[in-house]
Amino acid sequence: MPKLLVVDDAEFLRVRLTRMLTAEGFEVFQAENGLKAVAAYQEHHPQVVLMDITMPEMDGLAALKEIMTLDPQARVVMLTALGQESVVLEAVKSGAKDFVVKPFEHERVMKAIGKLLP
Amino acid sequence: MNVNILNPFIRAAQETLRAEMQEDPQREDLRLENGAYETDEVTILISLIGTVEGTVFFSMSAQTAIQLASALMGETFSELDRLAQSGVAELGNVIAGRASMGLAQAGLHANISTPSVILGKGASIATLEYTRLVVPLLTSLGRLTIHLALRENSLPR
Repeated sequence: MPKLLVVDDAEFLRVRLTRMLTAEGFEVFQAENGLKAVAAYQEHHPQVVLMDITMPEMDGLAALKEIMTLDPQARVVMLTALGQESVVLEAVKSGAKDFVVKPFEHERVMKAIGKLLP
Repeated sequence: MNVNILNPFIRAAQETLRAEMQEDPQREDLRLENGAYETDEVTILISLIGTVEGTVFFSMSAQTAIQLASALMGETFSELDRLAQSGVAELGNVIAGRASMGLAQAGLHANISTPSVILGKGASIATLEYTRLVVPLLTSLGRLTIHLALRENSLPR
């Protein structure tokens, strides 16, 4: 069962995404900020990470950079709000493989994950 | 208030409610209010900083908040628990984010804060010299009222 890590400080979004992805057959882990995301990545080695950008403790961009340093092959998809284009650009330069704009459309999320899984 | 500020919020709310919960909100009469904003049972508060600055309040009854959260999650909440609160906060966040894009198209710039949820009716929040434009939107899930205490700055921050 492919493992995913969902990172978002909004509990509602974590739960909603987790339910959607669990129903699709994934094993889903959650983290509520960048610091916990880095720790969860090291512990669970997920195939794909879905990462929010604006979070307390450590934001998504910093967590992305940490994870890419730990594992240059990491596959991270940024979860972005409208109006965060400049951050998305920096995230892509830092190794993010794709981005999904909130509010999430089921098909768009699945397509982004599907492209990254072997 | 400049229509370049007002219209992006109305459009963003309508588009978001349509996309997220297949609602087609009807806009009721706009009104201007001075003095402190008085909370309804649930308020989502978001601040804007930029060439447009101030505060946006999304105001609703607890029952409407529960209905909106239920529609967003696709399951029935019986109370406004932490998850349901997070849901309505996210609704405000998405509307404000989408509105900021509309503002940008009009040549205006605003960074939005993360949303705060205020529970409890009748608290006063002073918006000081900001006049509030009140935009009630009626949906089948209840009334969502947007209070825009915003103004345009001449210089970007």
